[in-house]
Amino acid sequence: MIRYKKDTNNIATLILDMKNRPKNLINHEMVDAFMPVLEQLKKEKNRNELRGVIITSNKRNFLEGGDLEYLYRADDPQEVLELIHHLKKLFRAIENPGVPVVSAINGSALSTGFEMALATHHRIVLDNPKIRLGLPEVNLGLIPGGGGIIRLMWLLGIERAYEILALGRVYRPKEALKEEIIDDIACDERELMDKAREWILTTKEGRRPWDQEDMDISFGTADDAEMTSKIRRLNIQLVKENQFHFPAKHSILNILAEGSKVDFDTASEIESRYYTEVVCSETAKNKIKAFYFDHNAIMSGENRPKGFGKFRPKKIGVIGAGLMGSGIATSCAVKGLEVVLKDVSKVIAQRGKQHISNNLQEMLERNEIGEDERASILKKVYTTEKARDFDTCDLVIEAVFENANLKQKVTQEAENYMDEFSFVGSNTLSIPISQLAEVSQKPENYVGLHFFPPAHRVPLVEIVKGKKTSDETIARAFDFVKAIDKIPIIVSDNWGFYAARVQNTFLLESITMLSEGYAPALIENLGLQAGMPRGGLSMADELGLAMVLRYEEQADEHYGTKYVQHPAVEVLNKMIQELDRKGKTSSKGFYDYEEKSRQLWLELKTHFPSHQKDYDRQEVIERFLFAQVIEAGWCLQEGVIRTEAAANLGSIYGWGFPATKGGVIQYIFDYGKEAFLTRCKDFEERFGQRFKVPSFLKRLIEIY
Amino acid sequence: MKQLKNAYIYDSIRTPRGEGKSSGALYQVKPVDLLTTTLCALEKRNKLPTEQVSDAIIGCVSPVNGQGYNIAKTALLYSNWSDCVGGMQLNRFCTSGLEAINLAAVKIAAGHGDLIIAGGVESMSRVPLRSDGGALINDPEVINKVKYLPQGVAADLIASLEHFSREQLDEYALQSHQRASQAWKEGYFKNSIIPVVDQNELVVLDKDEHIRPNADLEGLAQLAPSFRFAGELGYESMALQKYPELEKLQYRHTAGNSSGMVDGAALVLIGSEEIGKRLDLQPRAKIRNFALAGGEPTIMLTGTITAAQKALERAEMSAKDIDLWECNEAFASVVLKFQQAMNINPKNLNVNGGSIAMGHPLGATGSILVGTLLDELERRDLKTGLVTLCAGGGMGVATIIERV
Repeated sequence: MIRYKKDTNNIATLILDMKNRPKNLINHEMVDAFMPVLEQLKKEKNRNELRGVIITSNKRNFLEGGDLEYLYRADDPQEVLELIHHLKKLFRAIENPGVPVVSAINGSALSTGFEMALATHHRIVLDNPKIRLGLPEVNLGLIPGGGGIIRLMWLLGIERAYEILALGRVYRPKEALKEEIIDDIACDERELMDKAREWILTTKEGRRPWDQEDMDISFGTADDAEMTSKIRRLNIQLVKENQFHFPAKHSILNILAEGSKVDFDTASEIESRYYTEVVCSETAKNKIKAFYFDHNAIMSGENRPKGFGKFRPKKIGVIGAGLMGSGIATSCAVKGLEVVLKDVSKVIAQRGKQHISNNLQEMLERNEIGEDERASILKKVYTTEKARDFDTCDLVIEAVFENANLKQKVTQEAENYMDEFSFVGSNTLSIPISQLAEVSQKPENYVGLHFFPPAHRVPLVEIVKGKKTSDETIARAFDFVKAIDKIPIIVSDNWGFYAARVQNTFLLESITMLSEGYAPALIENLGLQAGMPRGGLSMADELGLAMVLRYEEQADEHYGTKYVQHPAVEVLNKMIQELDRKGKTSSKGFYDYEEKSRQLWLELKTHFPSHQKDYDRQEVIERFLFAQVIEAGWCLQEGVIRTEAAANLGSIYGWGFPATKGGVIQYIFDYGKEAFLTRCKDFEERFGQRFKVPSFLKRLIEIY
Repeated sequence: MKQLKNAYIYDSIRTPRGEGKSSGALYQVKPVDLLTTTLCALEKRNKLPTEQVSDAIIGCVSPVNGQGYNIAKTALLYSNWSDCVGGMQLNRFCTSGLEAINLAAVKIAAGHGDLIIAGGVESMSRVPLRSDGGALINDPEVINKVKYLPQGVAADLIASLEHFSREQLDEYALQSHQRASQAWKEGYFKNSIIPVVDQNELVVLDKDEHIRPNADLEGLAQLAPSFRFAGELGYESMALQKYPELEKLQYRHTAGNSSGMVDGAALVLIGSEEIGKRLDLQPRAKIRNFALAGGEPTIMLTGTITAAQKALERAEMSAKDIDLWECNEAFASVVLKFQQAMNINPKNLNVNGGSIAMGHPLGATGSILVGTLLDELERRDLKTGLVTLCAGGGMGVATIIERV
């Protein structure tokens, strides 16, 4: 587990090497293994036979942490608090053997693994761009609990520590050095160990600033006026960004603010108590469920058709060099795929390359790619005006305007040069794939690949199976989406597929409330408070009211005599036909749009008087969310989407259903399944059949 | 509450108000000297045997540094008052100076003392607002849970909800300056003003420094909104979470239509009927009744309304029975909202201007307003008046006085 070596200089090297595991993890086994080693070190120190300690790894990672299986289940605060105390004690012991301790980091050190590195006196990292370092806990709704928050605060000051912790980014070695979360890098293993030994031999004791009498937290504490005002600013900016939908970030700021006012050990205890609260919170469970369990379920290929070998894409064609096409091209090139980017002229295609370059700049700023990678990524993109250049592509994706004829024309052109093994993906948001595939030479090789704007950022792709799309093509599309590090969810060729269809119910519910006399601003603000990224009226404007209506008309066509008209339809018709308010593109929708600002249309209140005064805020919020849950239930029932995991993650990434709720199906369990059913019944009676729970959903709720 | 009728106001004085910044005339004067100035004057003009005074209750909102360690007792000792006089500093935010009076009245009513000094002091130039820190304004966890806004943003929230236009607010501000200048010109304040002098008895300040007699609407209109920055940083978002029916905040309060930050002190001499007779003091008014109210803390500044209604109810009076009103001009929207809610004729409200024109020395303002109101009731030979101030945390305090 931990191998021990000592050299002639009395420098001990601890080599982390977990049995029967590909990686080193910090769990109770690892913690237990450390205890005798530390005892041994203490004895040697007392005998004056210890000059320093190097911790390194024999695995492909250094040390990673966070037992998510455990954290997902943990619900006993006392137990969580004790466990984290135990871990903290270990880190404190590693920190205080009386001799210098160096982390010689030769693989990724993440979360608790990185916290341990922070507890050593010096961190040297092998300069391998595959190595990742950092504290990404917030991405799962969690926070570090091993003293990492307090150590980072002491080292970098409250403000920088907050930024790093709240962003939850992981860093490559060079970037980590720039961020000052590590101390040095080494070009190879040999230099790594040499530097570690050298640092020990030139360092007398290695006491941390927080263990020295005369040292203070860098840049001051929350009792200093200037820092107080910075904390206030960070806090209110967070409130504005997340509307209280990111409790883990608030906990981090609270820990920093309070922890800065007391000594290190007391601060660590404060950290532990917040940590315990966060771990036991519903939000953390929901996020772990979505971003770990659901994510893994999807990526493991539970929905991928079986029996087809793994497809390894090498070269991708993209038709259309607009923002969508360039975004798709960016995603491919970043993952090492060659891209042929075509548009009607070389000049326009070249413009797309400029978009790609801008995307890369943005990714560079977010530390998602390294400076050295940028040029080589850009080189992977070849621009052209000739469909002939697609002849060696494994897959050609069209991302031209939303026009069926145009889409058919450009894919036909491409097919002329593509071989029988390659396939076509169409990026459409509303045109049925089966319709587009009608003119295809090989409709079985024709699939929908619905990316979400901005395509280089949103990690979700809907794979749309047309009537004739073969299972093999679906499997290959799945492998392709995975290869570019996005989440593939397989959906059927229905109106709006999955995401747009379910999203639309939030818009329709918002629009309905307008006719029920809710003030427009109230609808918008409560949409935000529900955790949606924007208000429903604003989202409707952006999509265009005709499109919102069109989706609902498609539902009408689909269900035929069973269809019950949504009350929003009347409002939409009035807006579009009578009032000539079509949405954002015409600058006139529920909002009035000017170049840089917008304002709810003042006349809205004339046409839809706001008479609801004593509204029930919670009820409004629940109507917004329930409408989406139920539609997602229909999608599951009708096979539009195949699994609960896909429904959840698709809802978060596809249209911004609140991640705090764990996605559109998990929300039922967050809310309480019995309470959910009762509330739906109440809503059904008061607001109509659209709140009837689909039988599939009822069964799903029963199973759990 | 019959006993309350036994608390009488015998005198009220105040210092002129200096600009609460380093260029202000009273920046050179230490806070304890402001209070000492009023204590000495009160003693002298009433020929007070100070050992007859049982307590001095002094409002002070930022009681740290030069205002810390109980400035009330400090000033009493420093002013050479009898050792037996007690001193306490209290903080109910902007209502402190009024709360001090009410507390004194309660003590007298209960028989715990016959003669009490109530008042307040604040040197905002020396000890700026927020100098005392505090979780409600600094601790993100507390701020978020309470949804506590900077007061100016709360004032803009009132203006937004009530659709008070910038012009309305500026017009109100202009009126405050005009009324205050007029009052100064006519000498309405002269009976109560105690000039601040130095150790050589040379005058440091003898008039309110913040008034702009030549203020006009054009000038006021040019001032930039003061609370846009804080609002856009995120407090707007916090406000809308509490008031989601509002699309956005309108930033309409400026340095011109908000109260000025100033330095100053004020005292009111309160006592029982018997002590007046014993010391040959003339009672000027009695404290009819008063009330404290707590309201929604995000909008924060509307506690005046509930407090006034409660005080009227306790006094078995209605708004019609009040001759003159003082509602502290913390922000123009606070007064307009109060006036609207209480249905008051603007002619009877803040008749000699207020904190927008003359400034708002936080802990002292409540006592100043009682003095101003009493002077004016006497000048006009009217009977009843109501003073109210809004305060942090959503509180409000109101006091009704009646001339005798």
